[in-house]
Amino acid sequence: MAPDPDKRRQRSERLAELLARTALSNQQAFAELYRETSSHLYAVALRILRESGAAEEVLQESFVNIWHHAGSYVAAKSQPLTWMTSIVRNRCLDQMRRREVDTVTIDDEEPGMMLADDRPGPMEMLLSSADALAVKSCVERLEAGQKQAIALAFYQGLSHSELASHLRQPLGTVKSWVRRGLERLKACLDGAGLKR
Amino acid sequence: MNYLEPERLDALAAQYVLGTLSRAARERLARLARGNESVAAALRAWETRLLPLAESLPPVAPPERVWPAILDRIQGQRESGSIWANLGLWRGLTLAGFATAMALVVVLLTPGPETPIETLVVVLAGQDARPALLVSADRSGRTLMVKAIAPVQPAGDRVLQLWALPEQGSPRSLGLIPATGAASDVVRLDLPASAGLALQNIPALAVSLEPQGGSPTGLPTGPVLYSGPIQRLY
Repeated sequence: MAPDPDKRRQRSERLAELLARTALSNQQAFAELYRETSSHLYAVALRILRESGAAEEVLQESFVNIWHHAGSYVAAKSQPLTWMTSIVRNRCLDQMRRREVDTVTIDDEEPGMMLADDRPGPMEMLLSSADALAVKSCVERLEAGQKQAIALAFYQGLSHSELASHLRQPLGTVKSWVRRGLERLKACLDGAGLKR
Repeated sequence: MNYLEPERLDALAAQYVLGTLSRAARERLARLARGNESVAAALRAWETRLLPLAESLPPVAPPERVWPAILDRIQGQRESGSIWANLGLWRGLTLAGFATAMALVVVLLTPGPETPIETLVVVLAGQDARPALLVSADRSGRTLMVKAIAPVQPAGDRVLQLWALPEQGSPRSLGLIPATGAASDVVRLDLPASAGLALQNIPALAVSLEPQGGSPTGLPTGPVLYSGPIQRLY
């Protein structure tokens, strides 16, 4: 689950090549790109949307989008999986924020509901991903509240107010955890020489 | 509130990528990013920082039906009005007719014992992947031979126009194809240079439906009826 740096680099190169060939309308390359990345991207969508139908739809739309816009992927600017993940996540998050407007409060009565499943929780995810990545030591340096708020927001797509009700904290506290957590992550990651 | 003030922008980009921005703020920033490279760069920087965290999610295989649905979507848009706006898409369409094309190329061009092959061949197929027109040229000749495989009769006052689809840039007209009453009618189109040169770096040809006299804009305006990859037999 935590690929070593060499394997990650090789995989990135491979995905970048598939994206380049997809940009030339090569359906075979596109099919391979799907095989290589769909279960990762589906997991991302499923985690945020928590509904397989909605996640399927986002995955489908995202790949149609990738097919049409593979040519706009610039290898020098971002990793291919990062680029693809951002397409999926943005669609999920747009949907989540829209839902929030539609149904004002969804989880005030049952704060623990969304986490009550047998999948690894956001904190476990945060720490296990951190194992293999440059963010490890940076994440570890965050304060507990910051860490938790960022993990919930990132993996579950929770908004500030949802975070507040989950963590049973005032909105202002949660907002500042998130803001300070992000600032510290940035300072730490950029200081560690992570390429922007 | 100035979005472009660097620290403010950076904080917004971070929240955007993390996902905590409100709907309205998300939409505003996404809109800004489309026209402003420094906003786009701020978002990318935060994606680079945060999105690797997603790699630790245990993969979940999507249901089998998703892939065919994606294929349907990318192939089902061939008739949409804006098809020409997306070069990538309609170049992809040429794949559909590829198998048929290769089969035909083999049948039609199996050389006689002493015929050297220096030929370009394009089988132009419609949406159903059924070949409609066969275009061929001698590499050194200045004539394209367009042969109808099935009768091709555009409705009313429309004509067919043949286009070269370059790797980069806009389609170039190769000329008009008059209606052909019967299969196996042959039309000759003159090229500005030898076929080898005139069609250099052209991966595919396509035929669109245009008003009498051809496209008024110099670019395809009507629907794409047929397309096909250029086979170079040399």
